[in-house]
Amino acid sequence: MSTTIVPATPPATPPAEVPRPAGAPEKGSRRPRWGTVLGWATMIVILLITLFPFYWMLRTAFSTNSELAAQAANLAPAGFTLDAFRRVFGLTTLEESLAQGGAGGRINFWLYLRNSVIMSTAITLGQVFFSAMAAYAFARLRWPGRNAVFAVFLSALMVPGIFTAIPNFVLIKELGLLNTFPGLVLPTFFMTPFAIFFLRQFFLGIPHEIEEAAMIDGASRGRTFLRIILPMSAAPITTLAVLTYIQAWNEYFWPLLVGQSDGVRVLTVALGIFRSQTPQGSPDWAGLMAATLVAALPIVLLFVVLGRRIVNSIGFSGIK
Amino acid sequence: MAVITTAAPAAARARPGRPRRPRYGDLRTALIFLIPATIGFVTFYLVPAVRGAWFSLTDYSVLAPPRFVGLDNYERLVQDPLFWNAMGVTAYYVVMNIGLQTVLAIAIAVLMQRLTRSAFVRGVVLLPYFVANVVVALVWFFMLDFQMGIVNVLLERVGLDPQAFFGDPALALPTIALINVWRHMGYTALLIFAGLQMIDQQVYEAAELDGAGPLRQFWSVTLPLLRPVLALVLVVTVTGSFQIFDTVAVTSAGGPVDATRVIYLYIYQLAFGQLDFGYASALSVVLFLVLLGVALLQLRLTRASESDTN
Amino acid sequence: MTTMTSSSRTSTTGRAVAALAAAAVALGAAGCASTSQAATDGTVTLTYWMWDANQVPGYQKCAADFEAANPGVRVNIEQYGWDDYWTQLTARMVAESAPDVFVDHSQQFGKFAELDQILDVSDRVAASGIDLSQYQDGLVDLWRGQDGGLYGLPKDWDTVGLYYNADMLADAGYTQDDLWELEWNPADGGTFEEFVAHMSVDSNGVRGDEPGFDKDNVEVYGLGYNESGGGYGQVQWASFALSNGWTYSDRNPWPTEFRYDEPALVETIGWWRSLVDKGYMPPLAVATSGVGSQEALGAGAYASLIEGSWNARSISELGGADFQVAPTPVGPSGERGTVFNGLSDAIYAGTPHPDEAWAWVEYLASPDCQLRVAEEARVFPAVKEASDRAVAAFQEIGVDADAFSVHVTDGTTTPSPVTDRWAELQTIMQPTMDSVLSFQSDPESLAPANRRVNELLAE
Repeated sequence: MSTTIVPATPPATPPAEVPRPAGAPEKGSRRPRWGTVLGWATMIVILLITLFPFYWMLRTAFSTNSELAAQAANLAPAGFTLDAFRRVFGLTTLEESLAQGGAGGRINFWLYLRNSVIMSTAITLGQVFFSAMAAYAFARLRWPGRNAVFAVFLSALMVPGIFTAIPNFVLIKELGLLNTFPGLVLPTFFMTPFAIFFLRQFFLGIPHEIEEAAMIDGASRGRTFLRIILPMSAAPITTLAVLTYIQAWNEYFWPLLVGQSDGVRVLTVALGIFRSQTPQGSPDWAGLMAATLVAALPIVLLFVVLGRRIVNSIGFSGIK
Repeated sequence: MAVITTAAPAAARARPGRPRRPRYGDLRTALIFLIPATIGFVTFYLVPAVRGAWFSLTDYSVLAPPRFVGLDNYERLVQDPLFWNAMGVTAYYVVMNIGLQTVLAIAIAVLMQRLTRSAFVRGVVLLPYFVANVVVALVWFFMLDFQMGIVNVLLERVGLDPQAFFGDPALALPTIALINVWRHMGYTALLIFAGLQMIDQQVYEAAELDGAGPLRQFWSVTLPLLRPVLALVLVVTVTGSFQIFDTVAVTSAGGPVDATRVIYLYIYQLAFGQLDFGYASALSVVLFLVLLGVALLQLRLTRASESDTN
Repeated sequence: MTTMTSSSRTSTTGRAVAALAAAAVALGAAGCASTSQAATDGTVTLTYWMWDANQVPGYQKCAADFEAANPGVRVNIEQYGWDDYWTQLTARMVAESAPDVFVDHSQQFGKFAELDQILDVSDRVAASGIDLSQYQDGLVDLWRGQDGGLYGLPKDWDTVGLYYNADMLADAGYTQDDLWELEWNPADGGTFEEFVAHMSVDSNGVRGDEPGFDKDNVEVYGLGYNESGGGYGQVQWASFALSNGWTYSDRNPWPTEFRYDEPALVETIGWWRSLVDKGYMPPLAVATSGVGSQEALGAGAYASLIEGSWNARSISELGGADFQVAPTPVGPSGERGTVFNGLSDAIYAGTPHPDEAWAWVEYLASPDCQLRVAEEARVFPAVKEASDRAVAAFQEIGVDADAFSVHVTDGTTTPSPVTDRWAELQTIMQPTMDSVLSFQSDPESLAPANRRVNELLAE
């Protein structure tokens, strides 16, 4: 069955813009208009549902905490202020923050941003590259026990994270890596089952002839992998890299345990102080929303900059 | 697993007449390529998992050495109403979450394919995934507040009764499932969109020549051809869905009346609240086995249905 | 990482692997990698953890004074939100790198003491000649282990009070002094129930004690709450039950039997939930389906709310109306009632600097530090004279702190139950109480739940 699909779009050609085959536009004109209208109506509803919470985050981020309860129905910010953003960027003193209904704590925003970038970049580089190597071995090389070993690797997907957190934490501590970037990065640096699974499914679709030509020219497997397979898979690798980056960027629990010192504290952990400070207390809502928007902004920007490329590559990540 | 076994012969068919390599030909290379991933797998998955399996046979508070108790934890588990409740709640959650999410994701993917190739639309659809789980949960918690949440304010404006989304035992779990649908549907839609892109347009054209309308095309062409993609998507999302935790922890915290005490939350409470790591480990082992079983079942079902499309 | 370098001979791939690994290590060097606590110059740095950000400024002042008096010792205050605090503390204990001193909670310290994670300070207390009677009565005993050891020195105390929307109060024709006179009983609810009935308003503007009150369309509930309270009920039902002559258990700390089956509690819960039925209090689903009862008070959905003294400052700063506090009502016992709880400072058993840690704890528990904390008007310190100072500091910012301290003055406090099985107890009592309050079961179902709790304790 997979053979019927894969050749249709040879993944070996990743142009930035794919010429649309016999596509939707003509179909739309052939079919009654109301179908398209209905489709767009549905799409717009979905987009609105997707976007509304973001508007609400924005609105709340520009609000004054003590006014939120009293002006619950106000669609505009309740007591417009930039204070929440000032708190996020660490521009207020502890006393000021507390007076605004925020929590204290020093927020060295740019340092934590740098740390997040370092951690997410390192995880993405390592995980994608090493997982690609493993995926190559599982997809392109033939050796006894291959499928069994792959199944074992894949079963790691089902190991509850809570199960491994404490032993991993103790291990990192025993290695003396608490409060270091390697400590933050190592558990997801070498592989994740998802990354291997994802790339393997793609590598399976690459025509063997290309690889073989290279081998005949005397290239080693390692060379073939680096010079042929990886460049040819730029699109799905970009996709995976973006998803990995987002995941790493949003990671909270592990960096909370492992990276507390200022030099390695990442944004999500630092912004954790906007969550509830006392039992049954409520968070600093305005600060939390501002922090969320600010923390998501770098990766949204990354997405916008890489924009079309990523989106198209997602459309290309060949899954058999 | 099924995906593996189907993929291998497929790859073999794709290169007919190629000279066979020696049986162990690639073994050495493969081992070298697997070194880094194996380090990661053994160190951060296998060893802790095996240790966890051992802890499940002990009475272990983490702060004192484990004491071997045989199968006591498993016996306790069988008789623990909270465990069974948690499994039931989790299963209910997974069905709602995955069911709705998959249907919506397919709908979005098909709409995107038919209506627009706008990168903006796809970007917006992925947007919720940029926000961390916990924060998504808190944002919705805030918006769904009974007294001051904007959703209830809007409901009242259009003349409906406000709803106790997290407080009503019948609503709490569906609400949490919907929140996670909101975060993941775009991400899932994009993966499915990827699969749609790979379907040969000629198939549609052929179907159209046969007089199949759009609905019929969807059922008899799109959906069957999507199955391999759905297999990957479903295995990954179902596995993730079973491990729902953050959203519950910051909103309903297991209540009301245990209606949202999902298995992962229960394990967490046992481990970190009660320092009962031995028993928590036993529950984790069972969860692992259930996930494994579900994944195998899914792969078998998707493979079983492959035959009718070929 | 060292294992990986072995692959670097093999191929391009190997070199790439090694390069990435090296990059990772280099990144590590970029972050400050030090967790060691003794610096080269002999300075000892103590790590001190707390969860309440509001209290950090006060304790920073204490730390500055302490460092001035103890050259060579530095105190590094770290603060984590409640949600992460205990998980992280547990992980740190497992990794044997917990903070030297940390703020402890009476429901948590039992298991730490049992597992030898925190130090028994009784010998040091004796050696230092600390006068334990300087603390409010009952506070020291909250920190007694089952072995009789003392696992921390008290830093503060809390009681609960009846917060109310003063603007609504004026509209309803009550004066603030009236609230000091309220009484309740499980039979007809007394003047307290009259108060919450009168404060409740439906969507037509009809008050709860007027004919035609529509209990299904209530605009303002006379009394709010956040959840059922499980087996604790500190800011929910405990003030009523305790003023009805009930106590949690046969003894405290370390009870052998709980008393959730006693008629005094059962009738209290029966009356309390009847307020829901009458529309004076929101249904459980509504109460728990919100971000918080304080917000609901702020939004004008509740006219009054029982809450802890630790929230006095934040409630007084809520926008939208004037919020004040009165004591909880007098019950059938002729007295008021409140849970009396507090926090302590505990020393981690694995600290490399127990002497310095003790010096810090001793200072934290001293009148010097606690008077400083009192000035901040956030909490009531444990030392008696500092409590009085805090009451004055609260009055200065417009919070009638007598509403909380009246319990201490009158001796109407009941110490929080101390047991190491608290988390397990709550897994039984929380759903039980939820179920009673949502009218899925009767208050009498507390009896079988109580049997299960006592079986648990007997294990």
